[in-house]
Amino acid sequence: MANHGVNIGPFWKDGPSAGSFYNFPGNSTNQSANDYGKQASTGPITTGTSIVAVKYDRGVIIAGDMLVSYGSLARYHNVDRVFQINENIILGITGDYADFQFIKQVIDETILADFSMDDKIAMKPKDLYTWLTRVLYNRRSRFNPLWLDMVVGGMQYDEPFLGHINFRGRAYTSDVISTGFGTHLALPILRERSEKGTMSEADAQEVVKKSMEVLFYRDCRGYPRYSQANINDQGCTVTKHDVQQNWDVAYLIKGY
Amino acid sequence: MSSIGTGYDLSASQFSPDGRVFQIEYAAKAAEISGTAIGLRGKDGCILAVEKVITSKLHEADSGRRIFTIENSIGLVICGLITDGRAVVSYALKEAQNYRRQYGRTIPLKILNERLSSLFHAYTLYSAVRPYGVCVILTTWTEENGSEMYCIEPSGVSFGYFGCATGKAKQAAKTEIEKLKLDNLSARELLNEGAKVIYRVNEDSTDSDTKFKLELSWVGKETNGIHQMCPVNLYEEAKATATAAMEQGDSDVE
Amino acid sequence: MIGVNQFPEYKVPGAVQHQFNPYENNGGSIVAIAGDDFAVIGADTRLSAGYNIFSRDHSKLFTMTSKAVLASCGNWGDSDTLSSFLKYKVQQYADAHENREISLNALAQLMSTMMYGRRFFPYYVSNILAGTYEGKGYVYSYDPIGHCERHTYRAGGSSAALLQPILDNQIGLKNMEQKPNVPLTVDRAVDLVTDAFISAAERDIYTGDGVNISIITNNGVENRRVQLRKD
Repeated sequence: MANHGVNIGPFWKDGPSAGSFYNFPGNSTNQSANDYGKQASTGPITTGTSIVAVKYDRGVIIAGDMLVSYGSLARYHNVDRVFQINENIILGITGDYADFQFIKQVIDETILADFSMDDKIAMKPKDLYTWLTRVLYNRRSRFNPLWLDMVVGGMQYDEPFLGHINFRGRAYTSDVISTGFGTHLALPILRERSEKGTMSEADAQEVVKKSMEVLFYRDCRGYPRYSQANINDQGCTVTKHDVQQNWDVAYLIKGY
Repeated sequence: MSSIGTGYDLSASQFSPDGRVFQIEYAAKAAEISGTAIGLRGKDGCILAVEKVITSKLHEADSGRRIFTIENSIGLVICGLITDGRAVVSYALKEAQNYRRQYGRTIPLKILNERLSSLFHAYTLYSAVRPYGVCVILTTWTEENGSEMYCIEPSGVSFGYFGCATGKAKQAAKTEIEKLKLDNLSARELLNEGAKVIYRVNEDSTDSDTKFKLELSWVGKETNGIHQMCPVNLYEEAKATATAAMEQGDSDVE
Repeated sequence: MIGVNQFPEYKVPGAVQHQFNPYENNGGSIVAIAGDDFAVIGADTRLSAGYNIFSRDHSKLFTMTSKAVLASCGNWGDSDTLSSFLKYKVQQYADAHENREISLNALAQLMSTMMYGRRFFPYYVSNILAGTYEGKGYVYSYDPIGHCERHTYRAGGSSAALLQPILDNQIGLKNMEQKPNVPLTVDRAVDLVTDAFISAAERDIYTGDGVNISIITNNGVENRRVQLRKD
């Protein structure tokens, strides 16, 4: 370079620097975008909203409503966002649903390969949690993130396990976890209960029910129907629920 | 074997003057000297049974497995060189995974059989390679197609079977299997029958005091289409039935 | 492929303009003090981002060997990655050296090299490594790209600017005409770390909930836990 590596800046705003050519603004003749590098995804498109998850004395519950939105459009109804992965693991996801479908396929392949080992050893939640942390961290490091907030729960041998991983590879375990809007709306409810002491299964059911109710009333991307995975030493179930709606307060609202 | 190669057996890519490829025949021989493996196809499922020869009392009885699971639902048993067999298994796993990536479902057994057969065949064509010294039996049960079973030989030739046998006592086993009314038998019943066949042919074989372990797996309606090693209680029952039948047979002779 | 240096400095069509920000600040503060024959290191247990608290019981201390503890805070994903990578390297060292534990100073250099390896996409973390080497207490601090420096005491993380002056005054005895000449004891070091965190939690929203303290002496590592305010 003529200026010996010292960057003296352009001659004028948006202009050329010494020894280089001026690119006329708006004139992109014969320049394909690929000549300059690539554009990776920078945000979620079709999204699922909050996940609510709690650990109780002998198991874990993860719940999430059944709506997938396209911006503010309630695009897909009755879609599962909470899954049983194998006999030990349940998973809930917030964020880009396409990214989720991609990673779900990879997870399922892994689980199947695990099953094919035929050694009666099934993957545990902590294994999946650690692995997903690496996947999400590596993707964000390549500037091509999987835009997901994933909640992994299950039985780590006889102990309940609950962990949360976000799209930057930030991972932690906790007794109560919520994603998306739930961090603001559900987490205070969950923490209030959790700090009183260990929950029973019924306590956990109740606090999750309350959280899903609040989320439906206050989250514009919420939905009254939700699925709930419950895993403990007795096994795993995934059930569907409806928020018991009460619009009695609406009697004050007239004229619409 | 009827004749030896006399110079025409050095390569899989060379015919002998009378139109044979000796390398394939040697590979078939490798499969034939291994412990017997059978597959039985019943009305609501299939079973695989293996006479796994334990060559040293220092070996762990459950090591060196002969029965494998491909994805959830396909059972695969190898007969011959175990290491060749394991290579075939990992290829089958890859094929199944590949199929699932493309079509989002389990590979149909017919397709898996075709792909594995092509693999076997490809290894009979070139001078740089040798054929796989294994026979494999593939089996599954699905709601759509019911029971299915194929056997692939080292030459790459494969057929669908109602009941098949490979290995040391394959002729004896075939004779035993032919006596069974396979169409009427459930997978649960076949476990006992399979065990009986394996015990009987082991007894009849020349070195009858060979130590062996019975390997038994099943897939069918009762297992929800999942291929798995048969549960301990059924395994013990099958083994007991087989030994009882043997004693019965012995007393008949006397 | 055209490199970044080929781009004009002004915007051109098609140039990579990532909206995506790979970093997030998960807060947290860390403090370490070296004594004559010991070291004390502490980290708060809050994991947060913005106004959200994700966890109140989240350890930022990593016991690397029986004589070295790392404290790491900043972008938790990076802390997590860096610390597990370092643990892997520690194990590799042991495997290659007949199970000898890597020494503190070797570990300090190793971490610097690892961090500089990401010079152009740094681990966004504040690290302090504390422990003993040949019976003496050491503290090493790092900047995000691997600059490594030895100290007798050091604070890092979101409350570094609150904690460091306390240590300067109480341990460094800065700007004092008459300096008391009493050697630092383990108990006083632990008390100082605790008090420093209590003060930081008072003013910094990214620090609080609790402190994990590791005391590294020639007898090994002892861990303690102190509660902090949770708001």
